Amino acid sequence: SRQVASQCRLLQSSSARPLSPQLPQLPDDPIPLQDAPGGLFQLPPGDPFPERVTVAWLSVVAIALALVCDPQENLSLAEITLRRLAPRLLHSLHLLGPGADVLLRPEVADGLLDRLLPHGEMLFLNQHFLQAVDREL
Amino acid sequence: AGAPTAASPGREIQEEELRRFASRVASLLQGPELGPEAVDCLQRLHLTVAATKYPRRLDGKFVELLQTVLCSSKCPEQVQVLCAAILREMSPCNDLILSCDQIQDTKLLSLVSSILLAQGNKKGEVAAVGQRIVKVLERRLPEGQSARYILPVLSNVISLSPESLTEEQVNVVSKKMADWLRYASTQQGVAQPSGGFFSSPRTKQPGPVTEVDGAIATDFFTVLSVGQYHTQDQWLNVQAFSMLRSWLLCCGDKGLKTPKSDDRSGMDKSVMSTVSTLPTSSRLLPPKERLREKAFEYCQRLVEQSHRRPLKKDDADLQKACLIEAVTIMDIICKQDSSYVHRAASFLKVLHGRICGDATYARALLPIAQFFLNHSKVAAVDSDAIYRHLLTDIPAQLFHNASLAFEFVQFCKANSQLFTETSSVFRQSFPNLFKFLAWNSPPLISEFVDFLPSLLDAGTAIEIFHLLLDLPCLTAALDVQLRSAALPTSEKAASDPAVPPSTCLEAFRHPLYRSMFQHLLRAKSTSEDAPERLIPLRQLLGSLASSPRVVQCAETVPVLLELFFKVVAEFADGPLINQLVVLLLQRSDQLCEIPAFKDDVYRVLSSQLVVLCKLHPALIVELSTEILEFSGAVSNIQNKEAIFTHVVWAVGEYLSVCYDRRCTVEQVLRFFEALEAVLFEVTQLRPLPTTPGYPPRAISVLMATLTKLAARSQDLIPRVSMFLSKMRTFVQSPAVTSVYQEEDLEEILIRATELLNLLKMPSVAQVVFTPPVASTRFQREVNDSLPCALRMVTRLLEPTPGFMPG
Repeated sequence: SRQVASQCRLLQSSSARPLSPQLPQLPDDPIPLQDAPGGLFQLPPGDPFPERVTVAWLSVVAIALALVCDPQENLSLAEITLRRLAPRLLHSLHLLGPGADVLLRPEVADGLLDRLLPHGEMLFLNQHFLQAVDREL
Repeated sequence: AGAPTAASPGREIQEEELRRFASRVASLLQGPELGPEAVDCLQRLHLTVAATKYPRRLDGKFVELLQTVLCSSKCPEQVQVLCAAILREMSPCNDLILSCDQIQDTKLLSLVSSILLAQGNKKGEVAAVGQRIVKVLERRLPEGQSARYILPVLSNVISLSPESLTEEQVNVVSKKMADWLRYASTQQGVAQPSGGFFSSPRTKQPGPVTEVDGAIATDFFTVLSVGQYHTQDQWLNVQAFSMLRSWLLCCGDKGLKTPKSDDRSGMDKSVMSTVSTLPTSSRLLPPKERLREKAFEYCQRLVEQSHRRPLKKDDADLQKACLIEAVTIMDIICKQDSSYVHRAASFLKVLHGRICGDATYARALLPIAQFFLNHSKVAAVDSDAIYRHLLTDIPAQLFHNASLAFEFVQFCKANSQLFTETSSVFRQSFPNLFKFLAWNSPPLISEFVDFLPSLLDAGTAIEIFHLLLDLPCLTAALDVQLRSAALPTSEKAASDPAVPPSTCLEAFRHPLYRSMFQHLLRAKSTSEDAPERLIPLRQLLGSLASSPRVVQCAETVPVLLELFFKVVAEFADGPLINQLVVLLLQRSDQLCEIPAFKDDVYRVLSSQLVVLCKLHPALIVELSTEILEFSGAVSNIQNKEAIFTHVVWAVGEYLSVCYDRRCTVEQVLRFFEALEAVLFEVTQLRPLPTTPGYPPRAISVLMATLTKLAARSQDLIPRVSMFLSKMRTFVQSPAVTSVYQEEDLEEILIRATELLNLLKMPSVAQVVFTPPVASTRFQREVNDSLPCALRMVTRLLEPTPGFMPG
C-alpha cells in the first residue's frame, strides 16, 4: 500500500491537479469513476509477494484501492473491476464518513468482493450482469 | 467487560482479555439465537484478530465452535461470513477440523473452501478442495443450488496447484465448460419472485437476449449478451469464460500426470490436422479438444460482438477487455494445437485492419502482435506491417496513455530478444519507446531498468547515451507537442523565421526549431550524431524545467545512466570507450537546464569516467587533446566540479608509461603545465572580492596530480615543491580565509605539506606513485588511497605531535 500511495502522489503531482479539501457528496447510485486517477505498476519478486506481480490501483478522493494480479492476467479487466468495486465499497461502507465503521464490518466488504471478485477471480460482467449483482446485494 | 471498542482497535488487548472476550462470544454462539449482539461481538473479534501481526492464540475449542457454527444449517448468512472471515484471518491454523467432504450446499462449500485454501496447503487442502468441487460438479445439483459459487474456487485451485486434479477430472470439467460456453440459453431469465420486488408474478414470456447495441442476438450466448434477468446457465457461461484463460493454461495442454494418454496423443493430432478445414462433429472430439473448439468459436464471436456500438457506454470498456482476452485465448489455443493457426491468422489479420486506426482499441494491438510473433512462421503470414505500425505509430501517438504504456513495455520485455536483432523494426524503433518512459516515469522506471540492457550494444550505445541525457527534454518536447495539437488550426500556422520564438509553443511551429523537435521526437534510430544542434532547443525547453512531469523524468536519468555504463562496460572496446569519454566531456556542457538534474548527472558521469579509465587507461594518452582542453579550463572547476576533479585524478593516476608506451616526457610536461596554470590561477592570483572560492577538493586533487606527475618526471620536482610551499601563504591570506572554511584550508595545508615531504624523497615518491601491476584496494578511491600513503611517509619523515599514529 505504501507503493500505491507513492505512485498515486507522483501521478497526481505530475498532472498538477488541485486536490479539493472538502469531501464531495456521494450520489446514491453507484457510479463508475472514469476520471479517477489510477495506474499500473509491477512489483519485483520478494517485495513483498514471493512472485512478480502487477498492481492496478485507483484513487477515489482520499482512498486508494489496489488489485494485485498475476503478470498474465487481463489488466484491462483489472482496471474495470477496480472502477466497479470502488464506488460500491465507498457507498456500502460509508468510507468517507467519520468513524472507524469500516473496520467493524468485514462481512460487508467480503460480500461485495464475493460477488465482484469471487475467490479473487475477475469476472467479465456487462452492465446488465452488474445490475443483477447489485440487486443481489 | 474487556470488549475492544472501535477507538482502541484491539491492538493492545491482553491475552487474558481476549480469552474472556472469546468465551463471551462462545456463549453467545451456543445460545438459541444468533442475533445482533452475536454479530457485533464477532465483528469486534474479527478486528482484534486482524489487527495484530502475530497469530492470536484463540482456544482450540473456540476455533472448533466457530467451525461448527459456520457449517450449521440454521446459521444466518451474516454470521457465517463473519466466522469464515475470522477463521481466514487466523490462517494457517492448526486447530482446523473443517473438511469440505460432506458439504452439499454450494454457497457454504465456497465459504469453507476459502478457509481451506488459505491454510498453505500443508495437508493437501488444495487437492481436497479440488476433488470435492469436481465431485459436486459431476452430479446434477439439487434444486436451488448453483454451480456458480464453486466455479471460482476451482479456478483458484488450479492456479494454486494444477496437479490437484486428475486427467479424468480435468476432462469432466472441460466437457462441462464447453457446454456452458456454447449452449447457454439465449432466452432472458425471469425475475426471482423471492425478493418481493414485484407485487404480482410476471406472466410475460421473457424475450430473447440482445447484443450490446440492442439488436436481437442470433447466435449463442456470451459475456457480451444482454438480458434483464439471467438464467443459471448464463451465469455459468460468464464464469466459464472468466476462468477460461487460466484453465487452458493450466489444464488445456496434454502432458498431465498420466503417461498412458501420450501414446494416443500423436495419433489424435494427425487425425485433427487432416480434417481441420472441415467442420468436425464435435461430439466425437475428446473433451480438451472439444473445449478448444468451443472456446475458439466463442472468442471469434466475442471479436465480432466487440465492434458493436453499445447502448450503455460502460459496456464499451468491457468490449475492449473481452477483445484482448479473446485474442489471448486464441493465441493459447494455437500454441496447444497448431491446426487452428491458419484460421486464427486470417481472422486476426482482418481484425487488425479494422482496429489499427482506432486509438480506443490500441491496447488490443499488443496481443494481436504477440499472436503473430508466436505463429507467423506457421501461418506463413507477413506480419511486418503489423509490427511496424505497432512500434512506430502507437508510441508516438499514445505515449500519454499510462496503461497502454505499461502494457507496451511489458510486451517489449517479453519479446526482448527481438530487440537485439540489428536490422529488425523492433530495434530501430527504440527512440519511440523512450517516450513512454519520458511521460510516465514513476511506474515505468523499474520496467526500463529491466529492459534497457536488451537495447544496448556497440551499435546503439552512443545514441542511447544521448537519449538518456536528453530524456527530460523529451518529456518537455512531448508536452509541447500535445499542447500544440490541442490548439485550434488558426493558431497552427508556421511562424516567421526571422523572429525568434519566445515560447516553446511558438518554437514548435518555427522553421528553425522544427527540425530540432523532429530529431528529439523521432520514432526511429538514427546514426546521425550532432547533439550540439539541439542546444537552442534545450535552452528553450528549460522554461518547462519546473513542470512536475519533467522533474519526475529527470529523477530517473541517473539510475538509467549508471545502468547504462554498467552494461556498456561489459562489451565496450577501446574505441567505444574513447568515444564515450569524449562525448561525456562534451555533453557536460549540453545538458537540460534543470539544476538538480545536472548535479546528479555530473555525479554519475564522474564516477563512471573513473570506471572507463580503469577499463582502458590508455585513453588518457589517446584523448590527451580533449582531456587537456577540459582540465585546462578553470571555468570547469566551478561549473562541473565532480567531473573536473575526477578527470584530474585520472590524469594523475594513468598518465604513465606503465599504462601506455606512447606516454612521452613531453606529454607529461604538457599536462603538467596545463594543470600548473590552473592551480596557479586558482591559488596564486589575487582573487576578486566577487570570487566565491574554488572547491577545496579540486585544489587538493590538482596538488596531488602535479606531485604524481613530478614523481614520474623528476626534473619537475623543484617546480612543484616551490608551488606547494607557497600554499601556506595561500591559506593564510585574508582574502582567502574570508571565503573558505577553516577546516578546508587546514586540510589543504596538511595535504600540501605531506606532498612536499614526499617529494623530498624522490625514490620513495616514485614507488608510492608508480601504478602497481595489480591494483590493491588502497588505490580505489580518489582521495582515500593517497592520504593513507602520504601519512605513512610523513610519519617516517617528521614525527610531529600532529601526526601521532592511531
